Amino acid sequence: MKYFHWSKGLLYTILLLYAIITFVPFAWALSASFKPLSEIVAGGANFIPQKFTLENYRQIFFQEPLFGRWLFNSVVVAVSVTSFNLLFNSMAGYALARIRFPGNRFWFFLILAVLMVPSQITLIPSFLILRFLGWLDSYQGLIVPSIVNATFIFMMRQFFINFPKELEEAAALDGLGHLETFFEIVLPLAKPALAAQAIFVFMGSWNNFLTPLIILSNSEMFTLPLGLNTFKGQYISYWNYIMAASMVFTLPALAIYAFFNRYFIQGVTFTGGK
Amino acid sequence: MQKKILSFFALLLLGIFTFTSCNTGQQTGNNSVVTVSLNGWGDQVERQLLQQILNNFEAKHPNIKVKYDVIADQYMDVIKTKLIGGTAADVFYLDASEAPLLINHNVLEPLDSYINSSFDINDFQPQLLNAFRQNGKLYGLPKDFATLALFYNKKAFQAANLSQPPQSWNEFLEMSKQLTLVRKKDGKIEQYGFGVSPELARQGFMIEAYGGKIVNHNDRATFASPNSLEGLKLTVNQYRQDKSSAIPSDVGASSGNEIFGQGKAAMVMEGTWLIPYLKGTFPNITYATAEIPTINDKKGTMAYVVAYVMNQRSKHKPEAWQLISYLTGKEGMQAWASKAFVLPTRRSVAAALNYDTNPLYSPFIAGSAYATTWQAGENLPIITNSFNNQFISAMLGEQALKSAMSKAQETANKEIALSH
Amino acid sequence: MLSRKKLVPSSLRQPRSLTLAGYIFMAPTIVILGVFTILPILFAIFLAFHRVQLLGENVYKFIGWKNFIRETIDDQVWIALKNTAEYVAIVVPTQTILALTLALVLNTQVRGKRWFRIIFFMPTVTSSTVLTLIFMWIYNSNGLLNNFLSSIGLPTYNWLGDPDVALKAIMLMNIWSTAPLFMVIYLAALQDIPESLYEAATIDGASRWDKFIWITLPFLQPVTFFIVVMGIIGTFQLFDQSYIFSRGSGGPDNSTLTVVLLIYQYAFKSLDMGYAAALALSLALVIMIVTLIQRYLFKEESH
Repeated sequence: MKYFHWSKGLLYTILLLYAIITFVPFAWALSASFKPLSEIVAGGANFIPQKFTLENYRQIFFQEPLFGRWLFNSVVVAVSVTSFNLLFNSMAGYALARIRFPGNRFWFFLILAVLMVPSQITLIPSFLILRFLGWLDSYQGLIVPSIVNATFIFMMRQFFINFPKELEEAAALDGLGHLETFFEIVLPLAKPALAAQAIFVFMGSWNNFLTPLIILSNSEMFTLPLGLNTFKGQYISYWNYIMAASMVFTLPALAIYAFFNRYFIQGVTFTGGK
Repeated sequence: MQKKILSFFALLLLGIFTFTSCNTGQQTGNNSVVTVSLNGWGDQVERQLLQQILNNFEAKHPNIKVKYDVIADQYMDVIKTKLIGGTAADVFYLDASEAPLLINHNVLEPLDSYINSSFDINDFQPQLLNAFRQNGKLYGLPKDFATLALFYNKKAFQAANLSQPPQSWNEFLEMSKQLTLVRKKDGKIEQYGFGVSPELARQGFMIEAYGGKIVNHNDRATFASPNSLEGLKLTVNQYRQDKSSAIPSDVGASSGNEIFGQGKAAMVMEGTWLIPYLKGTFPNITYATAEIPTINDKKGTMAYVVAYVMNQRSKHKPEAWQLISYLTGKEGMQAWASKAFVLPTRRSVAAALNYDTNPLYSPFIAGSAYATTWQAGENLPIITNSFNNQFISAMLGEQALKSAMSKAQETANKEIALSH
Repeated sequence: MLSRKKLVPSSLRQPRSLTLAGYIFMAPTIVILGVFTILPILFAIFLAFHRVQLLGENVYKFIGWKNFIRETIDDQVWIALKNTAEYVAIVVPTQTILALTLALVLNTQVRGKRWFRIIFFMPTVTSSTVLTLIFMWIYNSNGLLNNFLSSIGLPTYNWLGDPDVALKAIMLMNIWSTAPLFMVIYLAALQDIPESLYEAATIDGASRWDKFIWITLPFLQPVTFFIVVMGIIGTFQLFDQSYIFSRGSGGPDNSTLTVVLLIYQYAFKSLDMGYAAALALSLALVIMIVTLIQRYLFKEESH
């Protein structure tokens, strides 16, 4: 698409400039994670640390006994939530798209309605419900309410609607029931949509701050975003540890993103093209 | 394919249930050992120190284990959420300023029935105990307190040819000007005379210096009265007109502790917590302490008291009491106060540690006689919020002090009315 | 269980087994959405009409519309709305234009597109906590921005202490992290525009600028509208950054107070859950109206 014929130089300049602006804060955080606190506080805009140290990383893993636990909690929650979402959202999307059962339209409209309701309404009542169930400060409290997601049920339903009608008939002729059809035939064909869903759900859970903030008050159960925030503390800011911990938290997400870049873009355009 | 998926989920569910039961398992424990949970705040150093004292306690009480968890941020919000959610600890720290709300809502266990004569309740300084008394019942035992004193940087004083700390507020203002140094190269100020904290929690005694009060007997805000403004004017004018004081964020610090430790201010008014902080983070600063300069010929300062309180819904009250009585008993308090650099609330412990003769600590001890306790009814958080928001704008010159404070007072009282 | 139907063609399958199959597939969704989404919504409506006291003993006192009336006289609500409106007015156009610009540039024959996309997306996949923390350090009086400014001779400033600056800093952060997402949507849309249109225009003697105004922009209109609406909905829900930036206070001087932060404060600081629920409902209503407008004007089911 060559209609935008400004000089190549200008184009590259814009791109590079924006790329640098985007990259600099991350580079700065990375370099700060290798500096001692005194060097950070003293000011100075050097990207290469004057006193390079691995101490910050060592400290957060060994001195802050909960850091490893926070990382672990984040992983457990994100992996569980993602796995269950993939399964349940796809099942529901498939049922809504391909199974003619009584109430199909009703449930579909209900899900559309839920889509429109912003999550902030459910904040306080969810807290009270979890309190009633005794699930505050627990893994199940963090995981269970999020194992289904209306947005992705909708996405999967739209995805399955476009499947060839003959699919189920062929499967039925082979003697497969609904469940088997779903797992053996439909799901494998849904890999792109599943991959996009997996990335979004994982990122959403990994980066979630508000929900754990409300549900968790026991610092052992914190996920890493909460843990990072407590590092900041109320009076003394350990910027060196904060940057090191931030890097530990961000790098997995960045790595996953870079690796699955293709699916991510597909997924965005898919949900965007609603 | 189906089998693989299902077995993955089976494993996942199994894993989750194992973890969740691991978590709850800790709380039930076995019958002979009771676990008492304790919440507090504090940095690394304090945490380790308290843990040591808890270890001593556990050694003396083999049937009690203490699960100690530090809440690092927004302490009161978390405590209140825990209390509502039913996940509050058995014993926790409570600052005097936050006590009225919790007492009014009956979430704290009255301690009178647990106290016996060997506990020696009269050893405590009475005004500190009273901060936690209501309707004749005692809801918490003060574990330590801090007052504000003047910290001054000896090197900076020498450089400005000053040998003594200021005695009166006027002297203080003069010296602040002398201690404010401008770097010739670019006009940037290298050192301010005074690092100021424009918060109600610190300015309280300024309000009272000329007879003003933070609240009236109905717990409504009254800090905009003319008497109150007389005192507050001093802080604002020093910042705006003399330009000899700085707010921490002006120099990239987040607290008065940091601004003093980084050498960006020659004087600050802080509590005893600054002493261990300087020792640990900025050991090269040479400093001394003095009582806060007199205003209107009267001495004044703030006192902050923290107590151990017991959750009214605790399932282990006798054991929780054992913990509280050890920590606020003579032995426990002495172990704590001697290393945590806070002031003990028991007079016998203060004497045993020679705080009144120690030159670094004597200004703080002296202050406890005339200090204003930081406590003002259950609406204090709303009042504080409103005051802080407007006071900073008066400091920055965005409004006149009088209108800022009137606005703040109105807003606070309106909110208080709305929330009832 | 369904294998009994082995040799029966689909047209003869009995409705009952379809019902069963349908509900088995829907079961987890129905249970979880029911308990954790539908029930809370109903509960929120209930709470909004009560004064709720949960500290100590639980008290639910019916007070009719009082919470909603209180919203209209509560200064903080108006401040939060003003902040949110200011935020929306600046962020949405900026991020839309930025997204479009980047998409246009990336849509040309430049090389290394994949790498540029990866770098641009870094803020999008980073948690808001981390982004806010990094920015708080950069804007610190002692931080990168001031050091950079003083190294080139410009005056430094206490960015974080100035109420005017705080909200703008958050705006910048959000534009930076959301624009890439919209850029990708624009990219996909740009690639849908048929070349033939441009060729025809060239033959008619249209200039590059003309082509842009008369072909590209109109084609992008539906997508732009979608992006603008999604942007508005997203900005209304701002919480994380303002909480972390202001340590939950909404300061300095209420400048970072957003509606969601206000709801959080009323619920978990002041423990006024009834009023907080009423605020949440009002916010939800506003967002739903905006969403409905979008769906009405762009009948989305015609996909």
